[in-house]
Amino acid sequence: MTDSLRRAVGDLLSPEAILPEDESRRWCPGGKANPVVVAPSSQEELAKLLAQASREGWRVLPAGEGTWLHGGGPAKFDLIVSTRRLSGMEEYEPADLTFTAGAGITLSSLGEATEAHGQWLPVNPPGGRLGSLGAAVSLGVGGSLCQLYGPPRDHILGLSMVSGDGRILRWGGRVVKNVAGFDLTRLCIGSWGSLGVITSVSAHLFPLPESDVTLILRAPEAGFLLPVAQSLARSGLPLAALELLDPLDDAAGNRDGERAAGQSGSSGAGLILRLLGSGAQVAEMEARIRAELSQEGREWDRWDGASSRTFHQVLDGWEERSELVLRMSLLPSRLEDLFSEVDGLRRIPGELGAEAGVEVRAAAHAGAGILRVAVSGAESSGRVLEGWASALGALRERLEESGGTLTLSTAPRSLAREVGSWGAVGEEAPLLSGIKSRFDPQGIMAPGRFVV
Amino acid sequence: MNNALAPTVLRELEGVVGKEWVLTDPDRLLVYESDAQTAHNRAPRAVVLPSSTAEVASVFRILHHHGIPMVPRGAGTGLSGGALAITGGVVVGTSRMNRILEVDPDNRRALVQCGVLNTDLTDAAAPYRLHYAPDPSSQTACTIGGNVAENSGGPHCLKYGVTSRYITGLRVVLPQGDVVWLGGQGREAPSYDLVGLFVGSEGCFGLAAEVEVALTPDPEATRTLLAMFETLEEAGKAVTAIIGAGLLPAALEIVDRNTIKAVEASIFAAGYPTDVAAALVVEFDGLDAGLDEEAYQAARCCEREGAREVRQTRSAEERMALWKGRKKAFGAMGRLAPDLLVQDATVPRTRLPGVLAKILEIAERYDLQVANVFHAGDGNLHPNLVYDRRDPDETRRVEEASKEMMAVCVEAGGTITGEHGVGIDKRKYMPLVFSPEELDVLRGVKEVFDSQGLCNPGKVLPEPGGTT
Repeated sequence: MTDSLRRAVGDLLSPEAILPEDESRRWCPGGKANPVVVAPSSQEELAKLLAQASREGWRVLPAGEGTWLHGGGPAKFDLIVSTRRLSGMEEYEPADLTFTAGAGITLSSLGEATEAHGQWLPVNPPGGRLGSLGAAVSLGVGGSLCQLYGPPRDHILGLSMVSGDGRILRWGGRVVKNVAGFDLTRLCIGSWGSLGVITSVSAHLFPLPESDVTLILRAPEAGFLLPVAQSLARSGLPLAALELLDPLDDAAGNRDGERAAGQSGSSGAGLILRLLGSGAQVAEMEARIRAELSQEGREWDRWDGASSRTFHQVLDGWEERSELVLRMSLLPSRLEDLFSEVDGLRRIPGELGAEAGVEVRAAAHAGAGILRVAVSGAESSGRVLEGWASALGALRERLEESGGTLTLSTAPRSLAREVGSWGAVGEEAPLLSGIKSRFDPQGIMAPGRFVV
Repeated sequence: MNNALAPTVLRELEGVVGKEWVLTDPDRLLVYESDAQTAHNRAPRAVVLPSSTAEVASVFRILHHHGIPMVPRGAGTGLSGGALAITGGVVVGTSRMNRILEVDPDNRRALVQCGVLNTDLTDAAAPYRLHYAPDPSSQTACTIGGNVAENSGGPHCLKYGVTSRYITGLRVVLPQGDVVWLGGQGREAPSYDLVGLFVGSEGCFGLAAEVEVALTPDPEATRTLLAMFETLEEAGKAVTAIIGAGLLPAALEIVDRNTIKAVEASIFAAGYPTDVAAALVVEFDGLDAGLDEEAYQAARCCEREGAREVRQTRSAEERMALWKGRKKAFGAMGRLAPDLLVQDATVPRTRLPGVLAKILEIAERYDLQVANVFHAGDGNLHPNLVYDRRDPDETRRVEEASKEMMAVCVEAGGTITGEHGVGIDKRKYMPLVFSPEELDVLRGVKEVFDSQGLCNPGKVLPEPGGTT
């Protein structure tokens, strides 16, 4: 179908909108060869494409820079639609602390544009800064900065989209308070491309903090740090990030915050605190934390300014290059239970007789009750994968019974198929499919992904 | 039209909630014929007051079965006519659903029934040094369920954000009587953000019977400034200067001369000077360290923009009085004339001075008195028009001036409502901000929840094809 599809798309779009075959090979989640990748240059061009796709039944996977195509599980698609050519800053009024930009703008370009005016968007999704703003909004997942600033949805004021059937729609606006009509902005945030393609985003910014300090407390294992993490989370101190890593490994490898050559995995656990704010506020917080936690023998690593910042940019890439990444959530007070599940996961390779070369790392957004587990070296044999599949199925069941969730952010295709990237949808299911049909009546947007 | 419910239906409803909680006596229905926006009124056919989620579900099932519209209603403090049974429906009131089901300080969350008052929730969290952040001016009277329906704001939303940021889970009753749990803290569900969608749906999707909220740690310290200006425009510019200086106050509120006069003449007199054109309240909160510096910088910004005087409150009592005066401003305006049209719109913050000038010009042209109170930091305006509805000409002028004011706000890149909702009041303005395709999608989404169109009909969405 690829060649005929390429021709059909060629009739609709300008030649520059279609990536040449050699370039499109990179856009290949899970090894599907040679997808048709297009990057329309306007909403109108995109609308024409999706209207036709809807008529023809072409299945569409929306993307930005293509940095996280594997996320959300194996997708069935005929066409990847990238927003990379919809990447301009459309409107930026620093005095309003708001901007509107094309969804394809990368988080790093956005950062450069706003930091020139002493402002920033405190959104650091696991995909890193090379990913697009549209992808961050579409996936709706935040990173360590959620501890202080909340998830991305708290900053998004409005968005434009082309629905699955090719209608150009705009929700919300660029004002910070807006209750005109139902909140379809929130509906689209975190919809994983299943309603349409987000083409531009309005959000509000924050003043860049004057001071940026990172403190790291090390311990032989996570268990020693859990009570500290819990008491800090409940202290009311406005920490910008509170991350518990086990092992702490290369992320804290050297003082320049650069990724150390040769990743080692046995540095013990570390609790990472990020303090952002005015010089006076950060100094005060640091003094209190040190006073509160100054038991004998405790030593802090401390980075500030640019090195603190670089450290966190490296940390944002924590999931990269792992073939299996799990994301667990429970109420924050149950962080300990999440960590004890990690112990169970660490035993799996041994039980399967495949211990050598398997590394299991854990990182928690400790204040939010979210724990990510990254496994590398697991994909060695069918039997090993089978072992993981049954363990993960049981883990998901336990978490869901306790009101939590387990998702597979990244997984080998076979494992994702076996376990499912997502858990149970529950009683909301009819509402979800009803809503999707209002945007994408032919069901062409990211089928198989997410929920519907 | 015979307005009374059939006796069989009444008996079914009484069977669920008990006879004393089904109101049909016209005198008792009177309270339910309008909300705080008195321009609209229509008595419901009956009022049903359930006490639990299960009762709401049974009541909805009965009404749905008989094809009778159902209108969820909290405390009736809304300002857009959202809780009125305008198409001959039954009001389902939540006043008996006022139990706080759980306060969980470890996870900074609470689960409440929808009829709990906003301040009662904060009071329940206070022993843990937590509070519920959204603080609409009506917070001593309004319910959490009403806040959810309207996605309410409040003065401190500048720093803390509006209701939707704080709602983590909802147990909703859908129009046909199904009970569905949405979201929940600790869950990253494979689902659309149905909690986010439900918040602000103005009772058009169902009734949020139980609400899980995130609580916020009490700030350790606050600094509150009151800056006095000779013109409204200078006050507006000071707001832009403060934000431009990289400061993030918890609140930035402007009250104008007419509002100050009304407040100071009322029992909520707070010491606002009555001879200035505008007063700007600036509040910072958080760690004590650094607050003095922030307050100092903000005071300089005000002075540079021409403030006649900037003073800092010296005691908690003085601060409380200022806020009470601000929050009771709408009530105090009752002194100015028999009727008040509380307006609500948002513009980009930097457009405030220009938009304000146009609003004053419009009011003058229509020979109307306008009293401005607004959440200036959010660009959220409340140009309130005082009038007497017994005077048909004045009522017409209020209507026309409102429409022009809305158009000015939309033209400036803003919107027709920042926090009071669309309700009945602003349906006619919806085409100013939504295209026909977008309105179709909004209608379609409502149908997913309410296929028969029985839940709070006649609200939010304009009639298809028409402008009213």
